[in-house]
Amino acid sequence: MVCGFMKGFCEVVMGQEYGSSSKGEFRAVVSSNRQIGISFYRLTLEFSGAGAEAFDGFGPGQFVQLDVSGAALPPVERIPDELADAARREILLRRPFSFTDVTREGDKTVADLLYCVVGPATLRMTTFKAGDSVSVVGPLGNGFSVPEGKKKAFLVFGGMGTAPMQHLAKVLAWDEKERDIEVVAFAGAKSVHALPFEGRMDEISQQLGFSIREFAKYTIESMVATDDGSSGFHGPVTDCFLEWLKENKPSVEEAIIYSCGPEAMLGKVAEIAKERNIDCQVSLERRMACGIGVCQSCAVECRVEGSSETVYKMCCEDGPVFDAREVVF
Amino acid sequence: MNEGIDISVEFGGLRLGNPVFTASGTSGYADELGEFMDMDRLGGFITKSITAKPRKGNATPRIVETDAGMLNAIGLANIGVERFVEEKLPILGKMKAAVFVNVAGETIEEYLTVVERLANEERIAGFELNISCPNVEKGGITFGTDPELVKEISSAVKNACGAKMLMVKLTPSVTDISVIARAAVEAGADALSLINTFTAMVIDIKTQRPVLANRTGGLSGPAIKPIAVYLVNKVYKEVAKERGIPILGMGGIRTASDAVEFIIAGASAVAVGTASFIEPGCAARIIEGIRKYCVEHNISNIKELVGSVSQ
Repeated sequence: MVCGFMKGFCEVVMGQEYGSSSKGEFRAVVSSNRQIGISFYRLTLEFSGAGAEAFDGFGPGQFVQLDVSGAALPPVERIPDELADAARREILLRRPFSFTDVTREGDKTVADLLYCVVGPATLRMTTFKAGDSVSVVGPLGNGFSVPEGKKKAFLVFGGMGTAPMQHLAKVLAWDEKERDIEVVAFAGAKSVHALPFEGRMDEISQQLGFSIREFAKYTIESMVATDDGSSGFHGPVTDCFLEWLKENKPSVEEAIIYSCGPEAMLGKVAEIAKERNIDCQVSLERRMACGIGVCQSCAVECRVEGSSETVYKMCCEDGPVFDAREVVF
Repeated sequence: MNEGIDISVEFGGLRLGNPVFTASGTSGYADELGEFMDMDRLGGFITKSITAKPRKGNATPRIVETDAGMLNAIGLANIGVERFVEEKLPILGKMKAAVFVNVAGETIEEYLTVVERLANEERIAGFELNISCPNVEKGGITFGTDPELVKEISSAVKNACGAKMLMVKLTPSVTDISVIARAAVEAGADALSLINTFTAMVIDIKTQRPVLANRTGGLSGPAIKPIAVYLVNKVYKEVAKERGIPILGMGGIRTASDAVEFIIAGASAVAVGTASFIEPGCAARIIEGIRKYCVEHNISNIKELVGSVSQ
């Protein structure tokens, strides 16, 4: 359960939780590894047998630990200058990723993973090709939950924070269809080139609309915000969201905010949620070695109910999704 | 297929099904790795460091990856001995592996609090003494770097641990590890485990700050393996062999070949550490690999291999 801190509260409004299958180490086969824009890729993995069963129950916001240590480097001419030094590094530890989509296809489970080339591991991942076999540890952690009584869900995210949000969008639109939850997505990035979506992101208006294909396919409207104004709203995504809230004044009890992205952005979202008393779940990121609660490296400072003291919870096992009120930002 | 091959070992009076342990701090309190392997297949299990009082641990970042290794500075985060007894001992009691509790503290008194609390627990085989901690009473000097302090703490703990086995875990961050090993053995240590991590640092050149919140951390992983093999061999030759003290060898082990190398260097048993982060069921695979090695090399008793490296 993601909201141990709000225990009494959660008992009242306990809703749908996702991600119940037990974890393990599985092999997946790469079915495609497609480039999106300048530095984003969408990796599609196929699980069969026990892996298909385990990942069929993968909930939005959960994550996996991928072993990329065996992946080759791209040819020298395809290594960006800024990663030339990083490319020399050997990979030892697994890397954590969430999935953007998980689909059961017959006796297989197909999962999509979105990544941005930022270091030695993601650089190597670009050389994964169809047919390659990859070791995946998962499903790990606690994902997002959908409390009862919610009618409006706001997805507020920055940069690669979009990854679990796309999966959550699908669950809200399809699995929770009968609850008829209205979903609005707010996507932020530094500039148009840092928006990890397909299509012409430079032609996006400042209005709410079906501008991001990845959300539009679930009939979810979205707004884009860039720090430099090169696409959509000019400014941080949290300002964009705040303006929208002020104009639209949604019912607080029926609303929930889901957020993923840089820690500073999450802190701001948590503040907005707290001021308005809107429920808010945030997905955090930490450096982690194991991802299974053993190494204790991914500590998240959390408040203790009725005390000024704080405790460290583990991002991998207690999170990565936390109730925003619990986290010390 | 080699399931029936006997790779049991004697380790300081204990009979172990095989010579493979999971190392402290890399396998949790009890059964955390149980979803990835059958814990009963392990020869031994060592808990993460337990202290007298619960400890929150350090701020983050607590780890950073390096070439063929990683640095950690967790800060001995743990639930404290009382909660350990209540919540974890019952799980450990069901395990077939020989269970060692790793004990840490900032004063000798703190170590003794943990050991005295557990000395009469049937469910544990012994203690592993983490002496890579700063001694707050002696100005923060690391216990394990001063032979006098090692003697003092080892004999105090030995007196408190009754019939339980005492294994002292040596830090490699010393001039001569044999001096420290000798001090521990003379004070009553029944076994030695080595090596702990190397104190190390990674600096972010953009911010010009150390990456770890604690500034420094312990280097582990394949990067340290050849040094660990050397130090195990050194301690075996200079201290352990003549006194009949078994060594638990560790440092960068991730394959059966690595494990066998440590045994040939002088270890009676080995521990898998960082590799469990990457492959949580790694220890079980290594056990199978050792069996296969024994079949292929016609070894009927692992004992024949211990310290067999040519002189």
